[in-house]
Amino acid sequence: MLPFLKIMVKNLLAGPSTDPFPFAPAHTPKRFRGRACHDKEKCILCGICRHVCAAGAIQLRVTEDGMAVHWVLWHNSCVFCGLCAHHCPTKALTMSDDWHMTHRGEERFDQREVSFVPYGQCSQCGARIHPRPESVVQQLGSRYPERFMMCPVCKRQELARRVTPAKPSITTGESDERDSA
Amino acid sequence: MLKTLARFAPRSPWIYRLNAGSCNGCDVEMATTALIPRYDVERLGCKYCGSPRHADIVLISGPLTLRVRDKVLRVFDEIPNPKVTVGVGVCPVSGGVFRDSYTVDQPQESYIALDVIVPGCPPRPQAIIEGVAKALEVWKERLEVA
Repeated sequence: MLPFLKIMVKNLLAGPSTDPFPFAPAHTPKRFRGRACHDKEKCILCGICRHVCAAGAIQLRVTEDGMAVHWVLWHNSCVFCGLCAHHCPTKALTMSDDWHMTHRGEERFDQREVSFVPYGQCSQCGARIHPRPESVVQQLGSRYPERFMMCPVCKRQELARRVTPAKPSITTGESDERDSA
Repeated sequence: MLKTLARFAPRSPWIYRLNAGSCNGCDVEMATTALIPRYDVERLGCKYCGSPRHADIVLISGPLTLRVRDKVLRVFDEIPNPKVTVGVGVCPVSGGVFRDSYTVDQPQESYIALDVIVPGCPPRPQAIIEGVAKALEVWKERLEVA
């Protein structure tokens, strides 16, 4: 008899099911993808994030002197797909669970994530190379730390120097003939 | 007298949804915000209305495709002033994934100025409620000026 009474009492005891969001903090799932965060200490400027970005929200702008890069992500273009964080080789890009991004229309271009990432320098010739942050050196360059900090040209020369035997002191007749011909 | 009354007794704005060629992701979230008791937008005194002539706050979703452009602008002009425009999702601002498409008339900004922007693809219902709350502030400022 009157089965709804039981349900009614149960619901009364359970309280309101409305999310009290504007007046109290809302529950956010742990793996919710919100604003992307960039850690310039880990960035190696490989550009994979820009390459995979579905909405074209990421830009890498080289500074005028060519010694550093402005890494820019415009939140108003980001679609929170998380591809950049998935493909980032050094985990410099992560998706936070922050979704409080509502803003006035005037501030639309202030909604950016900007990092200033300087290029690295070759330890031999001083040429411009991609940055080698400390965390990456520890992870990948621990075996040959001096070679890890070189530009491709110096690295190749260094390897060739190691592999080839020392030059013979006496020249053969064969090479003399070729020189004279 | 009327001004003080307006300050102490703010009216309840009516919300109108305008789909400017959206993929329906944001529209589903907006419907969720209004209809499901869990995210009850009517607690803020807002109510969804069916006619643009009754509306105070406009929620726009979508990147303004060429096909609906003239219709959207005609409906938008029917909404009486002072109105507050809320862009839901990233499409109204930048075009999102539809940027540079030949069917999209970018930027939408050149046609409809956005007062409040709720980024997301789509934004979660709480974010839309946050945007509506911000739009309420803008609306009260507009009412005091008017």
